[in-house]
Amino acid sequence: MIRKNPFVYYSKKIAIFLLSILILSVAAFYISRWAPGDPLVSYYGERVERMTPEEREWAEEKLGLNDPIHIQYIRWLQNALQGNFGISFKYKQDVMEVIGGRLGNTLILGGIGFLLIFAGALGLGILCVWREDGWLDRTLCKVGTIITCIPEFWLSLVLILIFSIQLRWLPSSGAYSVGNKNDLADRAVHLILPMIVTVLNHLWYYAYMIRNKLLEEVRADYVLLAKSKGLSKKRILFKHCLRNIIPSYLSIMAISVPHILGGTYIVETVFSYPGIGTLSYESARYQDYNLLMILCIFSGALVILFNIIAQIINERIDPRMRENEIVESTEVTEVG
Amino acid sequence: MSEILLDIQHLTHQFRLSKTAIVKAVDDVSFQIRKGEIFGLVGESGSGKSTVARCVMNVYPPTSGNIYYQGIDVCEPKQYRQNRKLLQTTRQIIFQDSTSSLNQRMKIVDVISEPMKIHHIKPPRGSLRKEAEFQLRYVGLDASYLDKYPSQLSGGMRQRVAIARALSMEPALLVADEPIASLDVSIQAQIINLLKHCNLEHGCSVLFIAHDLAVVKYLCDRVGVMYHGKLVEVAPTKELFESPLHAYTKSLLSAIPIPDPRLERARVLQEFDEHLFDRHGQLVEVSPDHFVLKGGAK
Amino acid sequence: MDNLFVQVGIREIPEPQMKQKKWYQGKPMVSIFLLCLIILGCLFCELFIPKDPTYMDLYHANVAPNSEFWFGTDTMGRDIFSMIWYGGRISLYIGFFATLISTAIAILFGAISGLSPKWLDDALMRLTEIFLSIPNLLLIILIQAILGKANIQTISLVIGITSWTSIAKVVRTEVRQIRNSEYVVAARCMGAGFFRILWKHLTPNFISSIMFMVVMNIRGAIGAESTLSFMGIGLPLEIISWGSMLSLSEKALSSGSWWIILTPGIFLVVTLLCVTNIGNYLRKNANQKESNL
Repeated sequence: MIRKNPFVYYSKKIAIFLLSILILSVAAFYISRWAPGDPLVSYYGERVERMTPEEREWAEEKLGLNDPIHIQYIRWLQNALQGNFGISFKYKQDVMEVIGGRLGNTLILGGIGFLLIFAGALGLGILCVWREDGWLDRTLCKVGTIITCIPEFWLSLVLILIFSIQLRWLPSSGAYSVGNKNDLADRAVHLILPMIVTVLNHLWYYAYMIRNKLLEEVRADYVLLAKSKGLSKKRILFKHCLRNIIPSYLSIMAISVPHILGGTYIVETVFSYPGIGTLSYESARYQDYNLLMILCIFSGALVILFNIIAQIINERIDPRMRENEIVESTEVTEVG
Repeated sequence: MSEILLDIQHLTHQFRLSKTAIVKAVDDVSFQIRKGEIFGLVGESGSGKSTVARCVMNVYPPTSGNIYYQGIDVCEPKQYRQNRKLLQTTRQIIFQDSTSSLNQRMKIVDVISEPMKIHHIKPPRGSLRKEAEFQLRYVGLDASYLDKYPSQLSGGMRQRVAIARALSMEPALLVADEPIASLDVSIQAQIINLLKHCNLEHGCSVLFIAHDLAVVKYLCDRVGVMYHGKLVEVAPTKELFESPLHAYTKSLLSAIPIPDPRLERARVLQEFDEHLFDRHGQLVEVSPDHFVLKGGAK
Repeated sequence: MDNLFVQVGIREIPEPQMKQKKWYQGKPMVSIFLLCLIILGCLFCELFIPKDPTYMDLYHANVAPNSEFWFGTDTMGRDIFSMIWYGGRISLYIGFFATLISTAIAILFGAISGLSPKWLDDALMRLTEIFLSIPNLLLIILIQAILGKANIQTISLVIGITSWTSIAKVVRTEVRQIRNSEYVVAARCMGAGFFRILWKHLTPNFISSIMFMVVMNIRGAIGAESTLSFMGIGLPLEIISWGSMLSLSEKALSSGSWWIILTPGIFLVVTLLCVTNIGNYLRKNANQKESNL
């Protein structure tokens, strides 16, 4: 096999990453401009309706909205490359500041949620394989299937109904009570319900994946060999089978990062949790262009980045997936 | 000498394995097939026989060289488009692996009548089903197989179905790409006899690709021997087997087992040294109809 | 002792008496039955619903379940029992229609990508990735905004457009494997066109591997409709569906009317569960072998 220069390899990946983001930004820019709706509304609110045409024109001129789209895009790109992403029409603040205030909340929800899902899925998957076809495995499979069928917004609603309205144990919205911004305990209490929904919504999907992969692994012939050598069940499962599936699990989880973050969008909306999700929902609905762009690029970059990470992990595990190095005999390309 | 049906001139086909590695699967191959003739193409696996077949069928575009079929240059896109229907109906191909050359999800009747459906040909025997039944009987299977799926048939039956599909268009040229390599010996004989029968009855020319020399000796009128993408010798079957000229042909012929233990023990295997092989040789006609690859320095 | 060696030749082995499986065994009968019940109930709801589902009876707004309003009424005084069946029709219709759209796009896109040369294939796959990287929610809001006011068709279209990529990827991989099969080459030699090869040779061979995903797409589409309507970017309140019924739940939360939230939700979850069970059944059971552990 031909060894590739790691420098070339990684710079190629980075180039793909940057190119993808560029295309993404063009697409997002054009789509958001094509969408009907009046961006002035989000800037001036109700006042727009009382504006004279001259005032309107002046306002559009001021916000740079009356140039052709491609000129607007080039101007946006020039500013963006200097780190200036413009101001949010709605919040009348630099978009980075607007996001900065919210990003932490989403990262806490998504990040802790991700870790819980990651560990929980692994644990549940192993548990199911350990007791394959036992009552525990069967119950977990049934309950898991039911839970994956519950739309997350409805699960949120039901939890609010039970824990906030009937029992009055937990708060139903926000990230902290008014005035308690720095109270960690208060934040934790606010985090419980959104966290439960986030975790429950994804947990079984990945646990089931682990379960199936492990079950496939357990049926391989080397397990029989290990068993005939007298290795214990625990040792075979953890030292051999698990080790074989961990790399592919890592790559799946890498792809799932943006998925899980995306899933928090809906949860955030239901719980009025001040995060990126509620923000992007608002910005898309009210044509807050600059904010929308940066959010699109932010989440798009996450997706592309983690896809590339997953790809790198995959290529590490399985050299066949390495592009351009060895082409399978069935996929010989033509010359001339 | 009868009319030439297929004329291959200086056919070359390369596969690109990666940016740097290029494999010449077929390298400057020229030969002709006459009307009503069975032309055998032999050589070890990987010598480019199947690539020649696929180039002839327009599956692969050749890197260079020309293929004339009934005077039509099939590699020329314009000429190909103008004569598409003629080319697609009168040239038919049979593959080695009958399992993968028949779609598992189609019934036999649909498999056989597919070419007629594609070209909207009115079946001469009434319905498509009748036509399929006729073709099936022709290759020695009865109508009860019409509604079966390929997986329910044995390998020999499947190959017959593949032949029936090819024959349903009454081709002028049948390209048989190792049609017997994956079959049992007893079934090989049936298929070969079937091919021979088709050749005699329809008068269709056959490009028969094989690596079994005994079969070629029995079936073919003329034989070409390929080695590493090169055609090293072309001659009428009888002449080739009696007086091989190229060293590789000799070594190939010496590898045929003789069904007599005493003679078999005395058989000497002639080694062919790869280093002696000259890639840049030219085919030279040494005696009428007998061509041998001869190169400069050897 | 002399009968020990009597038996010569092949001994006849009695056919092992296999326990005849009943036709329904191993099939998700409960799910099929429930789903049929729900679908039929929705289709023929006019025959049995007691009230006009669109009629707003303001005297009886927000009434808890009782003998007249079996499932209670919503905050606008509409009878929930009638709405469930009437609205289910739209939810199910969107589920199927959106799946039809997404599957059609996926098969076409996957097949084109799988059959095209490597550079085009790479470019198409890269495009899919970028498309995937736009958050679904944003994409839906944007497409919805372009298509104008939401109705059943636009919602289906939006959901269909945003959910084809995973199937397309599977189709592409399958097609790349099948396209070098000799029967495809044979069909090409016979002169079959792109759509004939796609329809006759490729689709029947990869359909089983995407069937599971297609069924799961129905589930996804029904779920997506309800989520969108709930968030106020899907169907408006006047068009009754399980999702738009749930969009009243914020008001319901403040008044503690649990029936407004629970009833449509339970119907939704049961339907999704049935679809999932059927989908899981369709997925080939690869783990037939005994465990070596």
